Amino acid sequence: MNKMVHHYIAIFFLFGGFFFLLVGVIGLLRLPDVYTRMHAMGKCDTLGAGLIVIALMILIGDITNITKLVLIGVMIATINPIITHLIAKTAYNRGTPMAEGSFLINDYVASQRRRRRSRVEVAKKGDENS
Amino acid sequence: MIVTVLYSLVVGLVIISFVAIVRAYYGPTVLDRMVAMNVITTNVVIIILMFAYIDRSFYYIDVAFVFVIGAFIATLCILKLLREGHII
Repeated sequence: MNKMVHHYIAIFFLFGGFFFLLVGVIGLLRLPDVYTRMHAMGKCDTLGAGLIVIALMILIGDITNITKLVLIGVMIATINPIITHLIAKTAYNRGTPMAEGSFLINDYVASQRRRRRSRVEVAKKGDENS
Repeated sequence: MIVTVLYSLVVGLVIISFVAIVRAYYGPTVLDRMVAMNVITTNVVIIILMFAYIDRSFYYIDVAFVFVIGAFIATLCILKLLREGHII
């Protein structure tokens, strides 16, 4: 009786995690851009993996293996956002084009380039004067 | 019952991984392929954990842990190569 209740709770968490993984992959297949695909991947994948790890914790029920599963869940929940952030930063620094119709409000790289160019010009003027 | 559910979910995760492989094949830039590889890595970790419960051989959990760390370091090295042109 008790075990059956555990199994039903675990099946609920398993199908929830599978649903989120499926939604993430559909977003990966259908969205138009690197950034939007990454947006779909980063959140849905972390949430789905976390839910399935919780379900396996309920199923296993042994304190040693639950500790290892907690460790794996924490690793996935920290590593996946780090990787997503680094992919976004790399795509932005390489100048990957965005989808049609999207725009930037505050372009950090362009402002840095402008500041560096103005600094170089000021240094050249100082050399000419001296 | 629970074993049947786990087997069907393993089949579903394999199908999801093939869909991600489709994106990795058609991806216009290299970063799309990185994103698809990350999805496949997470799916493989989950499949290893499910087989740890199905076979009742819990040493697979350590295998999954090492797999997570290795995939993380590999992705980090590829991204550093793409950004700076060299790894070390």
